[in-house]
Amino acid sequence: MDIRALVLVNQSTEVLADPLPFSSLPPALLEVAGKTPLERTIERLLRFGIQPITVISDSASPLSAYASDGSGPIYVNSTRELFWRAAESSFNDLIQEGAELVVVLSLGAYAEIDFEKMVQFHLDQHARVTQACTEAKALEVFCISASRRNDAASLFRSQLTKCRSECPLFAHTGYTNQLKDARDLRQFAIDILTLKTETRPAGSEVRPGIWVEQGALVEKGARLVAPAFIGAFAKIRTHAVITRCSSVEHHAQIDCGTVAENSTVLPYCRVGACLDVAHSVVGTATITNLRRDVTVEILDTKLVSYVLATPGNRLMRAAAELVSFLPKQMWQGLFGGRKPQQPDLQAALQQTSPSLGGAAGYETPACDTDAAEKFPSNLAIVRRYGNQ
Amino acid sequence: MEINSRPVIVKRMPERVNARTAREFLQDVQPFLTADRPQIVFDLSQVKQLDSSGVEMLLRCMSEAHKRDGDLKLAAPSAQASVVLELTRTERLFEIYDTSTDAARSFSGFLPNALRQQLLHQKQSPPATLAA
Repeated sequence: MDIRALVLVNQSTEVLADPLPFSSLPPALLEVAGKTPLERTIERLLRFGIQPITVISDSASPLSAYASDGSGPIYVNSTRELFWRAAESSFNDLIQEGAELVVVLSLGAYAEIDFEKMVQFHLDQHARVTQACTEAKALEVFCISASRRNDAASLFRSQLTKCRSECPLFAHTGYTNQLKDARDLRQFAIDILTLKTETRPAGSEVRPGIWVEQGALVEKGARLVAPAFIGAFAKIRTHAVITRCSSVEHHAQIDCGTVAENSTVLPYCRVGACLDVAHSVVGTATITNLRRDVTVEILDTKLVSYVLATPGNRLMRAAAELVSFLPKQMWQGLFGGRKPQQPDLQAALQQTSPSLGGAAGYETPACDTDAAEKFPSNLAIVRRYGNQ
Repeated sequence: MEINSRPVIVKRMPERVNARTAREFLQDVQPFLTADRPQIVFDLSQVKQLDSSGVEMLLRCMSEAHKRDGDLKLAAPSAQASVVLELTRTERLFEIYDTSTDAARSFSGFLPNALRQQLLHQKQSPPATLAA
């Protein structure tokens, strides 16, 4: 039986309306443990022998990173206005090419559907259109018979919300993640790293629970605590700690001494030195804190910045930093302010403490054994512990 | 009997705390910091953007206050400010309160119990003139 797939990737209107989204890309195109949900879905479709696959995206979800090489999926970019029309047109093309059944998925949600069972259910029901659903809600995954073009057209025109005829529901009991926001994205990373999903992290498992992709650099002194994922060409600087299901995606950088705990660092993001990233999703200029449920814009490059995407630009930036380093050091050496001299400890001890002297009427040195007798010890203890 | 005659200064921080505004803010609060045993509260409720220079300024203010045997406390930090303080591991260095009032009250909260009881007793007992 000729079964083909049509995968739709578009940014939801809720995300577009968000003034400060955690990423400009939809979650379906964000790497989680080395692969995007789109790539994982395509892998799954291919595993069930559903091919060829056509992927359509709108302008807010560019598929420029994916190239159609003839053997793999066909990627089609469309404008936001013409997205559903393009979907309908692609569906018709698939039928004309000989498809008997088309599986239509909208990402959105990532669901590990048993397509074999779903197709069998669709055939058994003699249905025109079958929709997958979980216990909680319906998923945007449909099986459409090729002979039912009008039903398909109606479905696309209603943006997958309404079916023209009665649509049997296929109960899906496997893994599902709605992938609506940063919290879902983080949960997806946790589920992949704790092996709750059928899909696995990319790269190789160098130690139990630690996956590292090719080209990743983990400096001496850095600690990776399982489960954790380090993407391709990511850099973990010395004394950094990656722990509790943290996922550092490709080309991301974690600077010296920074702790990433239960966090996702998106591709090409750089987290500065000696920071504490916990329960967060780090974007190029944003941090979404999941505990506080807030996305914060960070414009300070000392805290969070981005790594240039092309190797040429990265090389240029590194060269510029190297060239400017020596003159900067020389300038600071010649004209920089002198370091304040460390006062002599004995002299400092004999000096009168301004606060004690003025306020309490004690004309005494800061450390004087005779004065200590006068000064009530219980008051000193109260002061030491403050109001704790 | 006067327990704490020194004033508690409550200062609201600007909406955006970057290098420039942090410098200006520091100049504003400098006279309070250089006073004897300063008691200062920074209200962070309006802060929408805080960067590393802002955090550095807060630490500097705290250090200045401690030098003079005073203290600096933070009040009502916005979610944005809290995230940055947490990120830079500085939230554990400050005493942080939900409101400025709580923060201001906390300055008189370290009185020894005996002294507190004495104060309470003084408040409850009627003044001598009235009794006569």
